[in-house]
Amino acid sequence: MSSPTQILKDNLWYNNPIFMQVLGICSALAVTNLLVNTAIMAAGVTFVTAFSSLTVSIIKSLIPRKVRMVVQTLIIAFYTILVDLALRAYLPDISRALGPYVGLIITNCIIMGRAEAFAQSNPPLISFWDGATSGIGYMSVLMVIAFFRELMGFGTLFGLRVMPENFVPWTIMVTAPSAFFFLGLIIWGGKTIMNRQGATA
Amino acid sequence: MNKQGLLYTVLFSFLVSFVFVAVLAIVNGSTAEQVALNLRLQRQRAILSAMGREAETQQEIENAYADVEILEYNDTTLYRAQVAGRDIYAKEFVGAGLWGPIEGVLAVTGDFERAVGLEIVSHNETPGLGGRVAEEPFLSQFREERIVDDNIVVGGAGSGDEDRENGTVDAITGASRTSDGMRVILDRELSVLASLIGGNS
Repeated sequence: MSSPTQILKDNLWYNNPIFMQVLGICSALAVTNLLVNTAIMAAGVTFVTAFSSLTVSIIKSLIPRKVRMVVQTLIIAFYTILVDLALRAYLPDISRALGPYVGLIITNCIIMGRAEAFAQSNPPLISFWDGATSGIGYMSVLMVIAFFRELMGFGTLFGLRVMPENFVPWTIMVTAPSAFFFLGLIIWGGKTIMNRQGATA
Repeated sequence: MNKQGLLYTVLFSFLVSFVFVAVLAIVNGSTAEQVALNLRLQRQRAILSAMGREAETQQEIENAYADVEILEYNDTTLYRAQVAGRDIYAKEFVGAGLWGPIEGVLAVTGDFERAVGLEIVSHNETPGLGGRVAEEPFLSQFREERIVDDNIVVGGAGSGDEDRENGTVDAITGASRTSDGMRVILDRELSVLASLIGGNS
């Protein structure tokens, strides 16, 4: 079994869900044009991944093999709906801004991936840690993309104006294609650095 | 009991679903009131804001909304209030945008001379493009805009129409379909208002 530090390194870098496993891309494209929305969305994904991994790990010995994935989906949906309800009741403005994307956390492949690949065969606490760090790995890449998209598309960061008054926003940064470009650049950069590390090691 | 057997699988699936759904039902029940309150406050704030009265906290909104009179005409509801000594009428609307419905509130003066304000309650337009329909630079064009021939036209595109007498506001650059949607909505809503409170043409 891997140590917690090794899991952290893997999920943040060597096996990052976005740029190594290329999972959870749909939401990486959809919600990354404003930093605030991205942060809340990624926090939701982290919460759901961590707790669904924990839950799957706790009851894994009770789950019949035939319905394993259905039960995992049920658990993921359960936590996603909790997030949705909490946002609607206590952060209505954010809930409105994210719209249908909160519900779509259910379909984020990272969560199912961690439940199936890790939590299904590991004890509860380390599964929780694995889920949480995967979520943070997802969040870190999304925040980088959102930083550049908000800066160039709106001229703001977290809604505060940072670009000079005469800055003309790049319309393409606001729409989904720009996220493809940034994602491509990040995958390229990440893999290049990793190959270089591999060559020197 | 055989954990891979049919009976166990069915019982387990039933029990797991029952437990998780029961928890969700309880959480949903306990937040329903708060969610309904948020929606009501959001609507009331939009109506007040369109009428030119800004209210932020729950207390402010409820106090200000207490002065609003609700008028029922056949199948239309209008809201009337005295703001700064003037009679103001407001109407909620729903119309088609590019990706989905645009919901909002339009307020006009009692003599139907001018629009008082436009507020967007919800929309699904692209953030930064059609989404600008809900942002201040677009909305502020409607403050005190003169109504010409029972209409305010969304036309052309520019940096915002400063002329309050021409019955025209600038459309949003890069969002022709959303602007077209707003033109249709305004045309319809202003004719309904004209027929109910009396137009000038």
